[in-house]
Amino acid sequence: MGVVGRPHGVRGLVHLHSYAADPAALPSYGPLVDERGRQFRMRWHSEGVAELFEMADGKRLRVPDRTAAEKLVNTRLYIERASLPPPDADEFYLSDLQGLQVMTVDGRDLGPVTGVHDHGGGVYLEIGTLLLPFTKACVPGVDVAGGRITVALPAEVVVAEDRAEASRDTAA
Amino acid sequence: MTRSVWKGPFVDGYLLNKAEAGRASGRNEIIKIWSRRSTILPQFVGLTFGVYNGHKFLPVQVNENMVGHKFGEFSPTRTFTGHSGDKKAKRG
Repeated sequence: MGVVGRPHGVRGLVHLHSYAADPAALPSYGPLVDERGRQFRMRWHSEGVAELFEMADGKRLRVPDRTAAEKLVNTRLYIERASLPPPDADEFYLSDLQGLQVMTVDGRDLGPVTGVHDHGGGVYLEIGTLLLPFTKACVPGVDVAGGRITVALPAEVVVAEDRAEASRDTAA
Repeated sequence: MTRSVWKGPFVDGYLLNKAEAGRASGRNEIIKIWSRRSTILPQFVGLTFGVYNGHKFLPVQVNENMVGHKFGEFSPTRTFTGHSGDKKAKRG
């Protein structure tokens, strides 16, 4: 859900790069866990700057100073999937779509979803070398609990002069 | 310096023909294009383009907010894919 950046000041504050859609919601997801299993709580101090508390033996230990904060630089923070609120109807967490088995409407197995991306032009699924827009037309069925999605492979628009004209325009 | 208004937005000619054919068919189709420099016009809204990034045709679902931008802005040429975090997707 985020990664700890450089220390901020001398009082143990750190820059925290949040990968949450709404960074303000990050503290509400419960404890953040790092790769070594340490648990942290956090509180936003100002924009992009957070106060971290390590949870140990039921105690909340604030990161005391800059030296301690420096030791946390580049620590990746995760949360339990169960702590995320359930999505709305016809809405899916990108992480849930990853790994689902893909079947075509005529029953052909295309393998698992290897990536889910959004570069500002809408979400699309990467299935091996195939890239499919995440639309109702292309992905008519999504069954996260069942671990599979159904896809309708789109056709390609072909116009007679197609590529030849494209290269001529580019040359001009 | 911005482009003069009297020139109008730049769009490659072949792309207009393809978009028209795609809209006329009314089917589930992807319009593959190489023209990253073309401006997104209002008549492209609702269509799905596959914009070439030098390697693959990345699907771009055009909506009203994209009008006036270039196709290339939505098809990055570098491989960083971002972090899913708690991001959600709704089927378009």
